[in-house]
Amino acid sequence: MTRFTIEEVCWEPRIPPVEAESATPEQHAALEACPPAQRRSTYFLTLARDPASLGERGALFNSVMYVPRGLPRAERELATAVVSIVNGCVYCASVHARRFAELTKDAEVMQRLLEAGLGTELSPRRRAIVDFAARLTREPGAVGAADLKPLREAGLDDLELLDLIHSIAMFANANRLMQSLGRSVMP
Amino acid sequence: MAEDDLVERLLGIEAGSPLAALRLQREAIRRHAQGAWRELVLTEAPGGVSPQERAAVALAVARQQGDVALVAECEALAAQAGAPAEGARTEALLRYAAMVAEAPGRCGQVDIDTLTAAGMSPQDIVAVTQLVAFIPFQVRLLAGLRAMQEEARA
Repeated sequence: MTRFTIEEVCWEPRIPPVEAESATPEQHAALEACPPAQRRSTYFLTLARDPASLGERGALFNSVMYVPRGLPRAERELATAVVSIVNGCVYCASVHARRFAELTKDAEVMQRLLEAGLGTELSPRRRAIVDFAARLTREPGAVGAADLKPLREAGLDDLELLDLIHSIAMFANANRLMQSLGRSVMP
Repeated sequence: MAEDDLVERLLGIEAGSPLAALRLQREAIRRHAQGAWRELVLTEAPGGVSPQERAAVALAVARQQGDVALVAECEALAAQAGAPAEGARTEALLRYAAMVAEAPGRCGQVDIDTLTAAGMSPQDIVAVTQLVAFIPFQVRLLAGLRAMQEEARA
């Protein structure tokens, strides 16, 4: 079984990342268009190998995670941590577990999700978000209106629900990039 | 003419409907989701990964992910592009796409090295991986929106 952690995990690429000195003008331009915090990360320098696919997908990711209003950021982080656990992406799970803990000051519940699993005791709203994130990740073809009912009963409105769907979908993407182009390395 | 929106076309979301209006509250997400599809699959600057290879990979992943509407779209694209050349490179590409789609946790250095041995550069490998990984995003976006449509009809 994969062991998940809230501690920092490293990510090692399986192809050589772009180096600042030898980057092409296109690679420089694509990196310049990313938020400053991302430009020096090994992951973005790896993605920058193909500058043409960095821009739209990067902008999509940032909108999904940071667009204001709608689903609170902590709940986006909860959903993306759950998707990462289901997909077995130790690196992504640790990053988004920490963001959730920073935003909520509630590391304890995240520790339980990581260590005891998704069945751990949760508030009704968090339970509904966790269950939907796991279901849409595992069985997208089987999801229907009945799966939205617990979310509605927990008070999610249309915009919050759309934001939740976006967050879950985004990590079907992010986990696969992380798991194939590199590997999680435990501290 | 406004750019095609793949998601709304596949789901039959009409302009001016409540779900279309909701999506416009997240206009940047709507625009960049379409933009990523364009950059990855419909690109006019395909670089080292040919339009035939891109269409074949998109179709293989859509089939693996099992979204009927997206499969039909990718079948049309693949028919239009034509098949990629038969051989070790295409075989390696499709095997890699299947693994990243289905069980990315099983991916290892050897899988990347196989692509390199088949003649793919680091840039090509990132381009293909971005493409493969984007289809599962679309499949879950489509599935979530379909559930909202079903809920609205009930």
